[in-house]
Amino acid sequence: MNAAGELKIVFTGPMGAGKTTAITAISDTPPVSTEVANNDQQAFAKASTTVALDFGQLALSDGTVVRLYGTPGQERFAFMWEILGRGAMGVILLIDANSPNALNDLEHYTRTFRGISPGQPFVVGIGRLHDAADDALAPFRERLATHGIVVPIFSVDVRKHEDTQLLIATVMAILEARMPEPEHGHA
Amino acid sequence: MATPSPFKPAAVEAAQRHLEAFALGNSDVALTVLTSGDGFEIAAYPAKGPVTARVAAMSSSMQALAQALTREAGLGRNRSLIVETDTGSAIVLDLDDTLPRTSLAVIASNRELLGKLIWASRNLCKQLEKTLGQ
Ligand SMILES: Nc1nc2c(ncn2[C@@H]2O[C@H](COP(=O)(O)OP(=O)(O)OP(=O)(O)O)[C@@H](O)[C@H]2O)c(=O)[nH]1
Ligand SMILES: [Mg+2]
Repeated sequence: MNAAGELKIVFTGPMGAGKTTAITAISDTPPVSTEVANNDQQAFAKASTTVALDFGQLALSDGTVVRLYGTPGQERFAFMWEILGRGAMGVILLIDANSPNALNDLEHYTRTFRGISPGQPFVVGIGRLHDAADDALAPFRERLATHGIVVPIFSVDVRKHEDTQLLIATVMAILEARMPEPEHGHA
Repeated sequence: MATPSPFKPAAVEAAQRHLEAFALGNSDVALTVLTSGDGFEIAAYPAKGPVTARVAAMSSSMQALAQALTREAGLGRNRSLIVETDTGSAIVLDLDDTLPRTSLAVIASNRELLGKLIWASRNLCKQLEKTLGQ
């Protein structure tokens, strides 16, 4: 838990990776959205883009409520990354494997967010990985490994509820594994 | 950063002149930026630079958050957002009927009354709406 006794997970990643899609798909409550018309179709061809944040909530089976925040993906909103990343208990990085910059994006967002939320669970979801082979994730793993970073990496389609749930469950599992003793009630 | 330019160069130039005239006529005004809804700087006074680009992105984030709040509160569309500090204020005003949607950020010291600044800023918005609508 953070200082406020809440579980906060942040979804980040480049434009079009699926942060808004993931939070919209999984939130129990209608998400708070800050979508506006996207004027940069060259950066990513889609109707809208996030300019401040996404916010949703998810109750886990044990009753814990997780607050889900999505960042804007575009670099000019990097000031929001700092604001949203602060106090996060875990970070989920989404990457679009179709992008020619996928590996650079992976490294850039990983470095940035491991700086903002140091020591917190960090999980990566690679989307649009059409190659179903087991080693399709290898280039992503290797890219991080060359910088001494070893984190869970999954192939996901965040339009699917269960895929986003897998990412969140992985963050939760890492958090639980770190807890010295089972928690009794609230601190 | 390559900024997509949704408006005609002549309209942007005219908008730029309006921003300059506004700053010259209101000595409190330190900075004004005309911004697309998704945080791209369209015109600015002083001329486009790193600070105005950052203010453009920040003002669009705040405008979208204000919009989320007014929607949640059932207040309808947000017209403007006012931030006051001990030394000055920042105002973000939504322009009517521009395509794409745009907003104006005004940053000023507080030697003059805030009400006067808001009134002057709204007038500037009307001029910009006319200019960009052409
Ligand atoms: N084909 C395919 N489409 C996907 C997949 N994941 C996401 N998408 C689509 O990609 C788009 C992602 O858009 P958003 O959710 O707005 O992306 P975002 O990361 O929030 O982007 P910004 O807010 O602009 O930074 C949506 O249209 C999704 O339906 C996937 O695995 N496969
Ligand atoms: Mg988004």
